[in-house]
Amino acid sequence: MQERYQMMLEMIQARLLEKKRGMDFFIDALFRNILRAYDPELPTVYVSGYAFPMELLWAFDVTPFDFEIACNNLPEVMTGNGSGLMLESEKRGYSRNICSFDRLIIGCLHQGILPKGDLFLTSSYYCHGKAKTNEVVAAHYGMESVLLDVPNEISPAAITYVATQLRNIAAKLEAVTGTKLDPARLKESIHRSNQARASLLTICDWMKRRPCPWNGVEACLLGLGGALFWGSPVRIEIHRLLLTQILERVEKGKTIPEDYRILWFPWVPVQNTNIFKILKENCANVVMAEASFVFWPELDENRPFESLAMKALLDPHVGKAERRIQNLVQSIDDYQIDGAIHFSTTSCYHENTAFPIIRDAIKKKGVPLLNLSGDMSDERNYSAAETNIRISAFMELLAG
Amino acid sequence: MNEQLTIAPRRIGWFCSYVPEEIILAAGCEPVRLEGRVERFQEIDSYLHANLCFTIRNIFESGLRKQYDDLDAVIFANSCDGMRRLYELWSHYIQTPAAYFLEIPKNRDENGISFFSSQLLNLKNQLEEDFAVSITAERLVQAGLQMNERRGKMLELFERQKASPLPYKGSELHTLAIQEGRLPKRDMYPEIQSVLEKPVPVQPVGKAAPRLLVSGNEGTTPTLFRLIENSNADVVLFDTCRGLNHYTGMVSMGNDPIQSIARRYLFKPACARMPGSAQRMERLAALIDEYAIDGVVYSGVQFCDYTLFESALIEPFLKARSLPVLVVENDYIWSNTEQIRTRIEAFVEMTQNKRRTA
Repeated sequence: MQERYQMMLEMIQARLLEKKRGMDFFIDALFRNILRAYDPELPTVYVSGYAFPMELLWAFDVTPFDFEIACNNLPEVMTGNGSGLMLESEKRGYSRNICSFDRLIIGCLHQGILPKGDLFLTSSYYCHGKAKTNEVVAAHYGMESVLLDVPNEISPAAITYVATQLRNIAAKLEAVTGTKLDPARLKESIHRSNQARASLLTICDWMKRRPCPWNGVEACLLGLGGALFWGSPVRIEIHRLLLTQILERVEKGKTIPEDYRILWFPWVPVQNTNIFKILKENCANVVMAEASFVFWPELDENRPFESLAMKALLDPHVGKAERRIQNLVQSIDDYQIDGAIHFSTTSCYHENTAFPIIRDAIKKKGVPLLNLSGDMSDERNYSAAETNIRISAFMELLAG
Repeated sequence: MNEQLTIAPRRIGWFCSYVPEEIILAAGCEPVRLEGRVERFQEIDSYLHANLCFTIRNIFESGLRKQYDDLDAVIFANSCDGMRRLYELWSHYIQTPAAYFLEIPKNRDENGISFFSSQLLNLKNQLEEDFAVSITAERLVQAGLQMNERRGKMLELFERQKASPLPYKGSELHTLAIQEGRLPKRDMYPEIQSVLEKPVPVQPVGKAAPRLLVSGNEGTTPTLFRLIENSNADVVLFDTCRGLNHYTGMVSMGNDPIQSIARRYLFKPACARMPGSAQRMERLAALIDEYAIDGVVYSGVQFCDYTLFESALIEPFLKARSLPVLVVENDYIWSNTEQIRTRIEAFVEMTQNKRRTA
């Protein structure tokens, strides 16, 4: 993994030398972070950034290692050869009915390419497969997997339950770093998170413009992979650079042609597909993605554990699908959406079970919806020909 | 008519082994363990992805076809991602009977107990409001005693299975356990008692069959058990959420009955939904020794993430101990019987050969 990411880092750094773009800066920071996980200088903490209040980790001297993002951004996956790594888990009895994200991680584990972790954190959301995988990886290294269990309801009891767990996790971070949690440092991390949240809201506002000056697919990638940096100065800088680019595009009129405005949910595939090429050919622009919604209020710096607990509880994939529906339906109006695309990844049980309710709400809103079946990273579960037919039919529908 | 309505206890359905029947009983209602009730899917594909747990698919289709209309309420639990979403689907498309949702903490510690207690208190309050009953501490204590007694009887049956020759067929015990969950408690108590009092049949000497343990999710029909028994092996034990696991652990009543109940349920042997695969393996190893097990059949429902992960861990764990293990997948209604029969026959033969050589 190190060699692969070192090579990709060099490529991205060459691009950054040309021009400092927001997404390149993000990818550079992400790859550097992945490589740092192999450095024994700082403790490495396994975590899924998109499903964990990362602000807590940035208050400590640790390297957070997003094992899902790291494995699923390997060149093998992005070039449609991820199954080679997945076979390493399948031949050990992990069924192909398990999410490809998880099979890939376990495959990487058995290839011996994952860094050794000092602490293994996971959460009960979005899905239980991720938590099970974290447990498998931790057990492989003879370590305990620590679960942040976030219930579906929002209540004082639920906030206490989650906040108490976060305090316990802070104690575990203290143990692996050998330093006590500095409340001022946690406060600073939360302050940075609030700053980044405010700038993301500004970016989201710009995306309401016609034509959209940024790209919902990149927003989705940042929403998931970039979640690792909530609470870190990196996230603030990514947003600053993105805003600069957006303003530049608007000023110079350098936006891409846009006949149709698409809302994408819940996430985009990691593997290389023909989806976005077909959309581009049809001047259908993904202008917003669910993964980049700002779903939480400003965090209270003076009540860090409770506000981080609330952030976790408010995650759209924790509670009822009704919350997601409200956000999705609102965004149809806010972003002047012409059509919505749901990417249904095989074996994503919580998402696929919630889909009928969401489908009905979007249909009720009168917006055409395409339910596109595929897979996040297993090329064996993806058909380019079928995708072509389905998106073409959707485009005809949008054209009326 | 009105008199009948007041006399007949309200029937409240539940699915997951973490739902405390004590609270239903204390509300004066009859707990009914639910399962999917359809043999063939008709409507489900227009709602749910084909790659979804067949338990979820079956229950939802049963609801759509009004198969649960004999119930007054259903308690869903956050057993898994599919189940938590099923509750939403239920509320959205089926609506009746009344549906409640119970969070089951995954962290089995005092923080988890505290949160689970608050959940049970909410459930108690909802039942009190919806059914106009008062669930007093005394009634909870009574219900706890009643359930403990029942658990004790069932555990006694399981305990006897340590003997050789085997006192009860696994399929018979499984049927009894299914009925224990499904039928009115007052009817089942004498039934369990009569099995306990029945003279234990003695197998002819020299005919001892391989002793197998069933783990994972065996479903609600005795199909798997019969397939094993027809292949000349015994199902000695099923440590599943309908078997030993479900009955293990008593409510130890303290000053706060709700918290005592929460403690029993959260601290009972953990199923695959909980973290702690290593502890589950240790438990399995201990049961294998205690019950002199020759082989393990691990059964999972198709597209059940928990069993898919767990089976991949159990297989190497048991193989490293030179214990034969067979992993089978079922579609909840066991329509793929012939394929499984062939595999079980081969597995039993292998287990027999291993016994002979040992």
